[in-house]
Amino acid sequence: MPPVRSSAEHLPQRRADSGLPGPPPELPRQRRGVTPQMRGRYPDYDVLSEAQHWDSVTRELVLDRVRKVPPIRFFDDAEAAALRAFCDVVTAQDSEPRIPVLEMVDAKFHAGKLDGFRYEDLPEDPQTWRAVAASLDRTAERAGHSSFAEAPVEERRAIVARFARGELDWEIPVQRAWTVVMRAVLSAFYSHPWAWNEIGFGGPAYPRGYARLGAGQREQWEAPPEFSRDPVGDVRERGLE
Amino acid sequence: MSRRTRVALKGAVRPPENESAFLLDPHRRGLPGRERMRRYGDSEPVDMVIVGAGAGGATLAQRLARRGWRIVVLEAGPFWDPDSDWVSDEAGAHDLYWTEPRVIGGEDPVELGKNNCGRGVGGSMVHYAGYTPRFHPSDFEVLSRDGVGADWPIAYAQLRPHYERLERELPVAGEWWPWGDPHGYPHAPHPVGGGALSAMEGARRCGIRMRVGPVGITNGSFGNRPHCIYRGLCLQGCKVGAKASPLVTHIPDALEHGVEIRSGCMVTRIEIDAGGRCTGVSYRHEERERFQRADTVAVAGYSIETPRLLLHSTSARFPAGLGNDNDLVGRGIMVQGAPQVAGRFEQEMRMYKAPPPEISSEQFYETDPERDFARGFSIQTVGPLPIGWAEHVLADGHWGQALREYVRDYNHWYTLGVLCELLPRPENRVTLAEERDRHGMPVARLDYTQCDNDRANIAYAKRKLSEIISAAGAQDVLAIDRYAHLVGGCAMSDSPDSGVVDSDHRAWGVPNLFVADGSVMPTQGSANPALTIMALSSRLAERLGAKRVHTSRRPARPLASSAPAPA
Repeated sequence: MPPVRSSAEHLPQRRADSGLPGPPPELPRQRRGVTPQMRGRYPDYDVLSEAQHWDSVTRELVLDRVRKVPPIRFFDDAEAAALRAFCDVVTAQDSEPRIPVLEMVDAKFHAGKLDGFRYEDLPEDPQTWRAVAASLDRTAERAGHSSFAEAPVEERRAIVARFARGELDWEIPVQRAWTVVMRAVLSAFYSHPWAWNEIGFGGPAYPRGYARLGAGQREQWEAPPEFSRDPVGDVRERGLE
Repeated sequence: MSRRTRVALKGAVRPPENESAFLLDPHRRGLPGRERMRRYGDSEPVDMVIVGAGAGGATLAQRLARRGWRIVVLEAGPFWDPDSDWVSDEAGAHDLYWTEPRVIGGEDPVELGKNNCGRGVGGSMVHYAGYTPRFHPSDFEVLSRDGVGADWPIAYAQLRPHYERLERELPVAGEWWPWGDPHGYPHAPHPVGGGALSAMEGARRCGIRMRVGPVGITNGSFGNRPHCIYRGLCLQGCKVGAKASPLVTHIPDALEHGVEIRSGCMVTRIEIDAGGRCTGVSYRHEERERFQRADTVAVAGYSIETPRLLLHSTSARFPAGLGNDNDLVGRGIMVQGAPQVAGRFEQEMRMYKAPPPEISSEQFYETDPERDFARGFSIQTVGPLPIGWAEHVLADGHWGQALREYVRDYNHWYTLGVLCELLPRPENRVTLAEERDRHGMPVARLDYTQCDNDRANIAYAKRKLSEIISAAGAQDVLAIDRYAHLVGGCAMSDSPDSGVVDSDHRAWGVPNLFVADGSVMPTQGSANPALTIMALSSRLAERLGAKRVHTSRRPARPLASSAPAPA
């Protein structure tokens, strides 16, 4: 399919999703290794099979993200339920295997790790997350559902879409709270080697480095994509936003 | 040195009076000098205590130690051993950043942490991209030339020899530099990736010249510093040791000349005697309150921690904090507008390879009367890793399936960025917030609001980027706004009414207190600040070492408060 030319100004504006948008139907099933929901552009690429070439400190850190999924210790049950449903919606994780985004965020807060700043009108990140959990539940309740997690998926997506656009009337500044929670979500999701498999990222390359830097070039252990549809056109044509 | 001589000697010139590259161990990244480091007792008088072991503090320590000064550097973060402390991983670099609580406000708040704040021996240069451009001569006289910002009390010519010396010490690799004060670099330019080549071609079609470099990354034989392996994790700490940071460029030589780097020490107050002179600093180490006596104090904690420390060091003589008799400490903080534009290419670009700093242009650096704003911007490459790329996609407004789909397309994208010179404004400032940190010290609050000139500059630069990336053949474009870098807050000035320190970095009103970091910059240009921070410290060390700065008496000009009112 020919790529679509467009500029940032013409990118699709966010809108409330309706129905159940999925990944492109032609996206292959993963054949080697694991990707979230077992789909990806590089079905025969498993970055973890390269782990023997990484330095040991990096290897242990990355492998632990797969091997040692921590229990939820910072959030309480109600918060965890709402936030788990939220993380699933914003990362489009609708089936197993899932990257344990909430567990990774919870572990960070349990360890007392902060990112080095907070907005003047928001509490520190862990408390902002808690406020978002309570606010998601209250918003779902006002729409007649028992909680955010119990609301139908279309409703959850609609609430998140309004959250992303800053349209919700919460006690905390909504637009800024969105950037706070999404910063942690993305940092967790895209630090996981399953996500690297999905996107074909070469992963840690120390001490061996990269040698093939040119356009269209690959290291011998990197895999070619089996699907290369331009997402800008695809997202628009399939009404994903 | 003539251009011809310099080109003939390319790569072969050993820097004078800095053996750092030769003091590294080729088989491990921890510093060999650390085990036999000189130790001083708290009550042992030293010539200088330096707060912060980053670009400013480490360079100052190395230079003065060579002249026989007894120096203790107190660093809040760890003394890194890259082999065991650093990882080749984006999220795993979290510990390299200053992550203590801080508050941000204003109309255009500046996110801190991983974006611009370092911690540990080597400072922010441990996770800077590696770009090491000089400032332009015009940067030192922005007010006179363009009617905006401020003039510096020093001129480019006074930093030039220090730029040249530092470019050999880092060493800097890049093509002949035609902008500002034209100059060459000791190491040849690095190879660039496919994305950068496409961007260069796009720029050429738009009539814009791009050059490879300048980056503080070895490209050839240089003592025991290894060659770059192009693994792309410059912003996550160079585990290789190829990228310049004080940890490999100045600390080894400093240790060799008797400097003590005391890590894990958070300085909370600069102490003053009845005569208004510094006596040393109070600091917290392993939950204990300690005091280091010193003849002179140099603060090199960067644009947020330096003002915070000065503001917190109140006394009967200095009730508003040190150097703050005119309420100028913390004011004039600057960041650079750094929008990024990503283009989608038919071929895979895999922008995680090669150092993120590849090519650069300063064609738009100076004021152009054709544009509707003063000053300008530089164009550079950025190579976001997966989390950075996802943040770029999110900032353009995508989440859920759309986010996943854009990020799945990662390997087809390439990203350009700019650094826009935003102007110094007094209301952009660091103050002390109500809340306190775990040491009981009030946390810093940073307020930031752009002015119209800033917004016009950013909008124009963003359009240029989109033009280049489209001319390069991009099929689609994602453009976002962000900030980079951090300077100012303790501006140097030729009078106490307009700044915090004099042209010798000495706090107005405190004869033996110096500020030796990026906070002294009155304006910022659109160059990355690291090299200039080092050059300023190098110049300060030269003047202190040659005893051209007197620390025993007050600055020649009186304080404004005691000066006769201007006619």
